[in-house]
Amino acid sequence: MPKRIISIVVAICVATTMLWIFGLIVTIQDQFFYEASSSTKQIEATNSNSKQKDALSIVALGDSLTRGTGDETGKGYVGHVMDELKKRTDKQIQFTNLAIKGQRSAQLIEQLKQKEVQRQIIEADIILMTIGGNDLFRGGEALRDLSTTQIEKEKKKFIEQLNTIFLLIREMNEDAPVFYIALYNPFNDLDNGKETSAIVRNWNYAASEVAAQYKSIICVPTYDLFELQVNDYLYTDKFHPNKEGYKRMGERVAALITLTEGEK
Amino acid sequence: MINLVYNEMLKIVRKKRLFIIAAIVAVLVSLFTYAQFKQVETIRERIGTTDWRTQLQQQIIDTQNRLNSTGISEEWKKFLKIRLQQQQYYLDNDINPMAPGAPTFMRMFIENSIELFLPLLVMVIAADLVSSEASGGTIKLLLTRPVKRWKILMSKYIAMILSTSFIVFSVAVLSYAISGIVFGYGGWNLPLLTGFSIQGEELNTTGVHLIPQWKYLLIEFGLAFFVSLVVGTLTFMLSVLLRSTAAVMGIMLAALISGAILSSMVSSWESAKYLFMVNLRLTSYVSGMAPPIDGMTLSFSMTVLAIWALVALIISFYVFTKRDVY
Amino acid sequence: MEETLVVQNVKKTIGKKEIIKGLSFSLKKGEVFGFLGPNGAGKTTTIRMLVGLIKPTSGKIFVCGYDLQKQFTKAIQHIGCIVENPELYPYLSGWENLEHFARMLPSISTTRIQEVVELVGLQNRIHDLVRTYSLGMRQRLGIAQALLGKPTVLILDEPTNGLDPVGIREMRQFIRTLAEQEQLTVLVSSHLLSEIQLMCDRVAIMSKGEIIRIDTVEHLLKEQARTYWNVHPIHIAKQILKNETTVLGEKDDFIVTVYESNEVIARCNARLIEAGVSVSSIERKLPTLEDLFIELTGGETID
Repeated sequence: MPKRIISIVVAICVATTMLWIFGLIVTIQDQFFYEASSSTKQIEATNSNSKQKDALSIVALGDSLTRGTGDETGKGYVGHVMDELKKRTDKQIQFTNLAIKGQRSAQLIEQLKQKEVQRQIIEADIILMTIGGNDLFRGGEALRDLSTTQIEKEKKKFIEQLNTIFLLIREMNEDAPVFYIALYNPFNDLDNGKETSAIVRNWNYAASEVAAQYKSIICVPTYDLFELQVNDYLYTDKFHPNKEGYKRMGERVAALITLTEGEK
Repeated sequence: MINLVYNEMLKIVRKKRLFIIAAIVAVLVSLFTYAQFKQVETIRERIGTTDWRTQLQQQIIDTQNRLNSTGISEEWKKFLKIRLQQQQYYLDNDINPMAPGAPTFMRMFIENSIELFLPLLVMVIAADLVSSEASGGTIKLLLTRPVKRWKILMSKYIAMILSTSFIVFSVAVLSYAISGIVFGYGGWNLPLLTGFSIQGEELNTTGVHLIPQWKYLLIEFGLAFFVSLVVGTLTFMLSVLLRSTAAVMGIMLAALISGAILSSMVSSWESAKYLFMVNLRLTSYVSGMAPPIDGMTLSFSMTVLAIWALVALIISFYVFTKRDVY
Repeated sequence: MEETLVVQNVKKTIGKKEIIKGLSFSLKKGEVFGFLGPNGAGKTTTIRMLVGLIKPTSGKIFVCGYDLQKQFTKAIQHIGCIVENPELYPYLSGWENLEHFARMLPSISTTRIQEVVELVGLQNRIHDLVRTYSLGMRQRLGIAQALLGKPTVLILDEPTNGLDPVGIREMRQFIRTLAEQEQLTVLVSSHLLSEIQLMCDRVAIMSKGEIIRIDTVEHLLKEQARTYWNVHPIHIAKQILKNETTVLGEKDDFIVTVYESNEVIARCNARLIEAGVSVSSIERKLPTLEDLFIELTGGETID
């Protein structure tokens, strides 16, 4: 009996050795002597439409605010929105967060050109979005240079790009409501709080003007949420909201969503 | 010679080493299958879909966010960037690199075990091939037969090669059979991209081409066999040099683990690329991952490994045929 | 007689230390040759050189006319050996062990394996794992594997080590049988003189890497063994014994004479009784190994 086992093992060993050596030959031929000419042939997309019919598809775009930076629970305002929506609807919710920390409007435009991002926006029922914080504050740089000319220049550029973003989104998806969450002023209680507040108000006003030109693009104000006791709602970096701040933002956005959904 | 090899295989089989190794592989594969299954589930829960494009897009966004956070090392950043480009390439070409199925699991399992797990298994066999004969005293009986010493060592070396392929084979078969229960047995023809080459921080895609998964697997297992063989040969040399199996295992273990640690932190120590330990992840070249040190390519790593093995083999044979046995 | 094993001026140096300082001897067919010496005298090193485990620094070893260095496989084919303990594979059965070694020899049939198993009397346990064997059984299995290839020279290092008295006697008889019936040359090493005396035809005495004496056992004993006479009165007895044999001296109440054959002793005894001497005991004593060494080396002790 043991003799047969040994013979079988030896036979397997010899056979597999051959196989692996063949594998190595294939490796050498494929990895070292591959002709680059016959380049990648495109293969057909197998399942082009994968969206569940009855699911509510939500896509979030933008920067660190949408990402939830500063919220130790990791939810961010989108998390609160999701929680709210789950309570209110029986539908399955399909959520994709495409936000990238530190993203500026120009980078968002680039992202919108990606095929897969486009596909998701096309399928989206609701789009959430924050953008502009990094354009304006540039990581706190704006604080040092409050010269109106510089800020005006930045604003002009941003407004053009925001317009492009809305245009792109609407080209892909005509109906889905877009909730554009406007800026708050994290530097409210600093010495130059008045000046910075003015700048933010100005900025938000321009952005809401752009949003108003499109159907179902809603500019959600958050400026007022952080106007009093701003430090209670900010993370230790004095820039991003904390858990409480995000909760307030989330509640506001969620409140708006039910309304629009009811219209449908 | 065939008789001698048969003798060695008899000893390996009767020591039950191969079956113990197969059992270890089976247990680990089951564990990983379950872990993988759980992971798929959590992803589905988090984003509410099983659509791979959404998942992959989410992964890309996650990677981008990681790139933007402060406090990550330059090496890690570089690695993430290349991963990102590659994921984007898959997405743009509509290829799902993670399509579920036993072959995909096999691929992931071998990619993750080529550096440490597989060499460890081979080590268990190779470590006591010669040293156990020395410590058990049976070497005296072997060497007083009318057979030349180099033939005896050669038979042991061949036995090592054979058991190495057995181990690689058992990894292949078990990971296929066990993971298939959960993920299904299909997916051999899934197209996969290979031929990425990394130049600095950029991913060069000129040589990129599609191959079916079965071919991809054949390549990866071939490379895994090659790596195992090199590690086996080095262990074999130590086994010839040292009488104590424990010492052989200790040294090899230290080398392998240091290799795993080194490859994540040596990018500034350029000459470390000539160490065998940092060259073990051959499958990364096939899938297009960034090498630990700039300028390392598949051919470079294979050459380095082959030279190490060759030197070890020469030392083994020289010492074994010349040595006095006490 | 045919010389089967010839050793010519073999030396071994390790580092700067000369461990074996030039050995020369030759063994004949059908003889049992003893290697006697204390531990550390170089017996095991010499035996390892004879079986090719250690390469001599200089000198030549011939087995059945083949040079062990240059024609290793041909030379070693005529040697069967156990070096130190019979270490076999404990996880294989006795039979598998024999098969294993048979595969390393040119054409050994199953009948031959069966033959040697019967020769050493292991038929009942041959298919059990070696792990379960007693030391004596392992020793016998060791001899079985040494005999597999029908060797001309059988080299056994301390073959009775660890055996019980019955086992030792069986082993002795077995070795003598092999030499007499199969015409094997057997080389046995031991540190016990009594053992060598009972088994061997010739003996080489080793000390500190040298052979200090090679002789037949009979000769050696004749020279070194003593007869102790417990007689009364001593002076008369001494006179009588001086006529018949060589008196070496007195020790306590004994007269010490050289080793003599049975006839001489019987004759002496008769003479003593005729002369009215009372004989309470006549005892032949082998010298201890220590005595022998002191005698042969002139004061060298075993260390």
